[in-house]
Amino acid sequence: MENNLLERAADLVMDAGQTLLENGGEVFRVQQTMEIMAHSLGVRDFHVYVLSNGIFASASMGSAHNVSLIRHVPAVTIHLGRVEAVNELSRELAAGQLGVEDAEARLQQARALPCTSTWGERLACIVGAAGFAYLFGGTPLDAAVAAVAGLFEILICQWFGAHKINRIFTDIVAAFACTIWSVGVQAVLPAVNANAAIIGALMVLTPGVALTMGVRDILNGDYLSGSIRLLDAVLIAGSIACGVVLGWLVIHGLGVAA
Amino acid sequence: MTPLWTDYFTQFVVAVIATISFGITFHVPKRHYLAGGLTGAVGWMVYILCFDLLGVTAPVAVLIATLPLTLCARFFSVCHKAPVTVFLLPGIFPLVPGAGIYYTAYYFLRDDRSLFLNKGVETLKIALALALGIALVCSLPLPGRDHKK
Repeated sequence: MENNLLERAADLVMDAGQTLLENGGEVFRVQQTMEIMAHSLGVRDFHVYVLSNGIFASASMGSAHNVSLIRHVPAVTIHLGRVEAVNELSRELAAGQLGVEDAEARLQQARALPCTSTWGERLACIVGAAGFAYLFGGTPLDAAVAAVAGLFEILICQWFGAHKINRIFTDIVAAFACTIWSVGVQAVLPAVNANAAIIGALMVLTPGVALTMGVRDILNGDYLSGSIRLLDAVLIAGSIACGVVLGWLVIHGLGVAA
Repeated sequence: MTPLWTDYFTQFVVAVIATISFGITFHVPKRHYLAGGLTGAVGWMVYILCFDLLGVTAPVAVLIATLPLTLCARFFSVCHKAPVTVFLLPGIFPLVPGAGIYYTAYYFLRDDRSLFLNKGVETLKIALALALGIALVCSLPLPGRDHKK
């Protein structure tokens, strides 16, 4: 293989791995996919080590030419569509249906898969919050209160996200806003059960992703990445709890509810 | 009996819709919406039926519910030739102890130590049950496990 081609192939494999990791792929999936792709593209002596926020790899062509690559993946935003697209790409590569150029083009497509529109996300949060408020024993009225709380949360998350404010603070503020709003409505309309509404709206923030991915990483033997994600889950849960406590403190301070 | 069944049916539908909403925020491709929603709803229904009818505690109900839920996710993953994460991440959400986190914080504030401890330990147990359930089913070597190779 030409040196140039080796570098292109190695870059392609790294890009694919980075795309997977950035969009919510598990560590073992990133590692496995990269190895399969490297093998299919004829990159020899490919070694890769993946962590929850970084990829380290090296490839060589005899002793004459070596490539080593490192990628840092600071932030993970879950986009399962992209994970699936890269997965599909690696399967087709393994079946020998694609060359390097085709694969590069396909990877570009996968990385460019659109996100849900801002309003689509807001709508999803509203519906999700209302649905969970109902499931956790709320009346349709509670669900409506939760829906508005869900809207507040996603607005806060989107706005804070755009200003690069950290996740912990975002969760605290979102949980705080949701508590204040729900208890405030309960003070005006006593028929509303604030607890059901708050729980429904909080489901949007709960660390389900971090917990599930942490467990799956640990199961696959990636203890370090798994611990990092479980720690993330504990921190998110703690932030939500802090937000709720702050909300109730303010409410007690204002003397709105007992 | 009729009102009871309609109640459970409504819960099923709401669980499907709520799970799909979470799927949308994770940008799940449209063709997987229904499968993801069903995964979440199966988990929720098993949980609520165990809790209501068998009278088991919440962590045990979560553990029992995680088994069919994860099985569903793996089944859909093989059928749709997609990573299991696509179905598992949104599907698990109905069982995540959001209520537990809330009540733990609430009783912490109220300075009600016994209830605070109760809820805190229960939340931890539910999270562990969830982890154990996923671990049990994901470790099973089902046919189709090697579809990626």
